[in-house]
Amino acid sequence: MAPLYVALLVGAVLFGVGLYGALSQTNLVMIMMGVEVMLGGAMVNLVAFWRFLHPETYSGQMFVLIVMTVMALEMAVGFGVGTGRFRAKGSVEMEEARDLKG
Amino acid sequence: MLLQTVFLAFFGLAAIWFAVVVFRTSSMVRSALALLFSQAAIGTMFLAMQTEFLGVLQIMMMATEMAIMAIFMVMYMMDPGGLSGMDMTHQKRVSIAAGVLGTAVAVGTALLVDWGPIAGVPRPGAQVHDLGIELMERSMLIFETAGVTILTAMVATTAIAIGPRGPRGGVDD
Repeated sequence: MAPLYVALLVGAVLFGVGLYGALSQTNLVMIMMGVEVMLGGAMVNLVAFWRFLHPETYSGQMFVLIVMTVMALEMAVGFGVGTGRFRAKGSVEMEEARDLKG
Repeated sequence: MLLQTVFLAFFGLAAIWFAVVVFRTSSMVRSALALLFSQAAIGTMFLAMQTEFLGVLQIMMMATEMAIMAIFMVMYMMDPGGLSGMDMTHQKRVSIAAGVLGTAVAVGTALLVDWGPIAGVPRPGAQVHDLGIELMERSMLIFETAGVTILTAMVATTAIAIGPRGPRGGVDD
């Protein structure tokens, strides 16, 4: 059971670090980095569950592929919003973003 | 099993360390590189868990993704080099409390639940074959939905990034 617990503990700590980052940063790019770290922790857990508990069903690996897709989409849409915001206001500081008017 | 545990612990600690460095350094380029190393360490953990396909995919995807992220960071940050020592954080206490609470709940769940016996793992070739069958049979709809979602996100992102034009007035008008 030791490798499963090690992977789950690493996933838990990564989730916590990512949560701290996503909540504490004021810049849009840094907030996205926090979300990436959280999703990384979730992926470690998913792979560990697949490998150590249910390697005969491939839904676990499929789930990881979907999370990777979500990570890429989050980056793409985040940078799209960042570009729009930077064009309109000249900054991607989220403390200044009080509305969604662009 | 012992060697696997050692490798998992080593790369896990590396992933955590670089994830912490992401939010500790004031240089944005270092921050992006630290995130790249953290995600690469996660990919190496996948390899240590004998999930070769996902491990290689993770390392390749994150290498390109973080390279693009570094470019955007240098473009959009007010102080990309971190030379002026700007503080770009807020609500620190709440964030630390949320992070510690989230970690504690996840660690408690991991340690308290009885996960059952450890199973053996299929060979790498069989894994890739069976994953392909899974993608093309049972999970086909999910796979296709992911493809359509990516296309939608590409169109939406481009539309957002271009900005308003025409009679309503825009930045370029």
